[in-house]
Amino acid sequence: MGFRTKQIHAGVTPDPVTGAILTPIYQTTTYVQNSVDEYLAKGYSYSRSGNPTVAALEAKLTELEGGAACATFGTGMSAVHATMLAFLSAGDHAIISDVAYGGTYRLCTKVLSRFGIEFTFADGSNPEDVAASVKDNTKLFLTETPANPTMKCSDIAAISEIAKKAGAVHAVDNTFLTPYYQRPFELGADLSIHSTTKYMDGHNATVGGAVISNTAELGEKVRFIMNSTGSIMSPMVAWLTLQGCKTLSVRMDQQSASAMAIAEYLENHDKVEQVRYPGLKSFPQYELACKQASGFGAMLWFEVKGGLAAGKQLMDNIELWSLAENLGSVESLITHPVSMTHADVEEAERARVGIIDGLVRLSVGLEDTEDLIDALAKALDQA
Amino acid sequence: MSNFYLFDTLSLHAGQTVDKEFGARATPIYQTTSYVFPDTDTASSIFNLERGGHAYSRITNPTVGVLEQRIAALEGGTAAVCTASGMAATFCAITAILSQGDHIVASSQMYGGNISLMKNTLPRFGITATFVDPNDIDGFRDAIQDNTRLIYGELIGNPGLDILDLEAIAAIGADNHIPFMVDATFNTPYLCRPFDFGVNITIHSVTKWMGGHGTAIGGVIVDGGNFDWGATDKYPTITEPYAPFQGINLWEEFGPTAFATRIRAEAMRDFGASMSPMNAFLLLQGIETLSLRMDKHLSNTASMLEFLINHKQVSWVSHPSMPSHSSHELAKKYLPKGAGSIVSFGVVGGREAGKTFIENVELASHLANVGDAKTLIIHPATTTHSRIDAEALVAAGITEDMIRLSVGLEDVRDLQADFEVGFRAAKKIAGL
Repeated sequence: MGFRTKQIHAGVTPDPVTGAILTPIYQTTTYVQNSVDEYLAKGYSYSRSGNPTVAALEAKLTELEGGAACATFGTGMSAVHATMLAFLSAGDHAIISDVAYGGTYRLCTKVLSRFGIEFTFADGSNPEDVAASVKDNTKLFLTETPANPTMKCSDIAAISEIAKKAGAVHAVDNTFLTPYYQRPFELGADLSIHSTTKYMDGHNATVGGAVISNTAELGEKVRFIMNSTGSIMSPMVAWLTLQGCKTLSVRMDQQSASAMAIAEYLENHDKVEQVRYPGLKSFPQYELACKQASGFGAMLWFEVKGGLAAGKQLMDNIELWSLAENLGSVESLITHPVSMTHADVEEAERARVGIIDGLVRLSVGLEDTEDLIDALAKALDQA
Repeated sequence: MSNFYLFDTLSLHAGQTVDKEFGARATPIYQTTSYVFPDTDTASSIFNLERGGHAYSRITNPTVGVLEQRIAALEGGTAAVCTASGMAATFCAITAILSQGDHIVASSQMYGGNISLMKNTLPRFGITATFVDPNDIDGFRDAIQDNTRLIYGELIGNPGLDILDLEAIAAIGADNHIPFMVDATFNTPYLCRPFDFGVNITIHSVTKWMGGHGTAIGGVIVDGGNFDWGATDKYPTITEPYAPFQGINLWEEFGPTAFATRIRAEAMRDFGASMSPMNAFLLLQGIETLSLRMDKHLSNTASMLEFLINHKQVSWVSHPSMPSHSSHELAKKYLPKGAGSIVSFGVVGGREAGKTFIENVELASHLANVGDAKTLIIHPATTTHSRIDAEALVAAGITEDMIRLSVGLEDVRDLQADFEVGFRAAKKIAGL
C-alpha cells in the first residue's frame, strides 16, 4: 500500500457492530469485563492504558512511519519526555542536537538535569562532533532535523551508525518533515518522535505527541512510561488527529510548494538579508536535504535588513500571517523564536548555535501562495 | 434493558447496552457520516425500513439512538426521534401529520418561537392555527374546526407559567380523534409524564433542563404510542401508502411507533434536522443527573420565591407553587414534585427599573436560554417575545415590567446577594 492509501485507511476498520466508517470516539474511562478470568480479553481495561480511538491513531502512525509500535501522548513535549524517561536513568548521558525546539532544550537543562541525567548538545550537521561527544554512559541520541528554528539538518544515517556503535538508542524528532517526506527508520534510527499538534493534525485543533518505535521491544519500553506517568492523549484529540492525517500528503505538498515560492521570493528581495530553506540551492546543506528527504517541508526563516528592530516591525505589521507559536497548521504563522519559542535558551547558547536575534520564522500554511507573498511584500515595504 | 426500572436508574442506563466490541462503559461517540454494509441485501432492507440498522447519520446514528431510547423510556413513550433543536422538533412533529389546509388549536401561552412558527411560517404552507387562552378549556373545544388535526400546548406556559389542564384537553382531543401534542420542556419527565394524562405526543427542547449545562442545542419528539391513527381518515401520512417506501403503510407496519417512524422516514430524511452525535453524547451526560439537578432547581426556586415575595423592590411574583397563582391547583395535580424553576416577577419602577436590575446583577446571566445549571434572567418583552405583536403579548401574559428568572444551581445565598445589588440600582433609577 502506498503512503496516500495508508494515510486514509491504516489503522481504521469499519466498526463491526454498526458498520460506522469512521472510528467511534470512545470517550470512556473504563471497559466492562465479561468475567474475572476474561480480564482484558477485549483488549482494554482503563483509558490511561489504552483506548480504542487512540489505538486507531497509534496503528495509523505506526504504518505511516513504517515502524512496529506507537504510543501517543498529551503533547509533543510529553512524547519527548517519555522517550528520555524510557531510555535514561540517573548517571546516564544523552546527546541532543544543539539546535532543537526550545522546550526540548529546557527539559534537558532545567528539568532532567535535576535527576542526574547528563546532556551534551552536539552539532548534528557534523557527525564527527557527535561521535566525539560519545561517553561510556551515553544511552540516547536525539536528533531534530531539520532543526527548529535554524533549519540545520543532521545526517540521520551517520548518527544512527554512531549510536549503534555506542550501543545507544537513536531517536529522531520527525515533526518538521513527517514520514511523508522523511523516513528515519529507513536511515537506521530506532524511534521517531512527533508533535502531532503540527502537520499530523494540521488544523490547529489539538495538542498531542507520538513516539513510533522500530521494534516491538523498544515500543514496550515507551508504552510502559506512557502508562506509568500517564501523560496520555485523549480520545477526542486522537479522533481529530485521525481525520487530519488523511490529508497529510496533500497539505504537505501544497504547503511545501508555497514555502519554496516564498523562499525564492524572499531571497530576491532587496530588504532581506538572508533566507534559509532546505529547498534553496543556497542552503548550506542543500545536498543532505535532497539526499535524506523527499521534500523540503513548509518551514523557513529569514532575516530582514536592519536585524531585530526591522524584524519585529515586520511581524507586528504583517497581515494574513498570524503572530503565533504553533507551526505546521493550515493557517500560516509567523514567529519570533528569540522572544517566543526559544526564549528559554540562554543568549550565549543561542548565539553559539546560530539562533540570531533577527530570525523571523515562517510556517507556511494552505492559503493561496499569491496572498501570502502579497502580505509579505506589503510588510517588507513598510520595513 | 428493562423499561420497568425506576426513574434514576433509567436516567443512567436506558437505551445503552455496553459496547460489544471493547466493553466501553460510556456510550461511544459515533462521529461518522456513514456505515459500511455487510452486503447489498442488508443495505436494501435497511433502506426499505424492513429492518433496523444504520445507513447514514442524517437518518440514524448509534450515539443519538441511545439518547432517543433513554428519553423514550423516561417519558414512558414507545419511541423518540432527536432533532437538531427544539424548534426542529416542533416543526418536524407538526409537519409529520399536518398538510396544506389543516389547522391547529394551540395554547396562546407558548414560547415565542412556537407562536411565530404557527402564526407566521406554517400559514405560508396552508397550515393555520387558532390560539386559545390555556385556562379556557371550553375555548379549546369551541376552536376545533372540521380541518383541525392537532391540539398543541405547553404544560407550563412560557412565560406566564399557566398550567395546561392536560386531562381535560386530552379528553377534547379524544372526542374529536385529534392528537394532543405537548411541549414538555419546562417540566421534563421527572416532574410530569404527560402520557400518563392522555397526551399523545411530547416534544422537548433538550437544550434546557434535560441537557442542563447549556452546552448543546437539541430537541426530541416522543411518540406516546397511544393514539389510534387508524380510527379516522384524518391522518393520511400515517395510514395511507407511503410512496417513497414502496407504498408501505406505517400504521399497519409499525402501530404504536408509526408516528415516530414517519418522522424518521420523512423529516429526518427530507428535512434533515438531525442531532449531531457529539451533542447527543453531551446531552446523555446531562440526563444522567436530571433528577438530582431538578431537585436542586426546585429547592433553590422555593428559596428565591420566598426572597422575592418578601422584597420591597419587587412589585409582583408569579409561580404556580404560590396559592395566589391561578394555576395553583393544576400545578399540585400535574407537578406534585414542584412546578419548575422558572419564576416571573416585576421590579418596582416598571420597564426602566427592570432593565436596570438586569444590567446590574452579575451572577445571573442575561441571556435567552432557560434551564441551564447557571441562573439566567431576561426581559421577555424586548427579547424572546419581541417578534410577536402587542395583542399577542397580552394574550401570552407578558407585561412590560416582567423579568423571567431561570433559577440555577448556585448557592442561593450568593444569588440573593447578587439580586440585592440589582435591586439597589433599580431603586436609584426609579428615584425611590
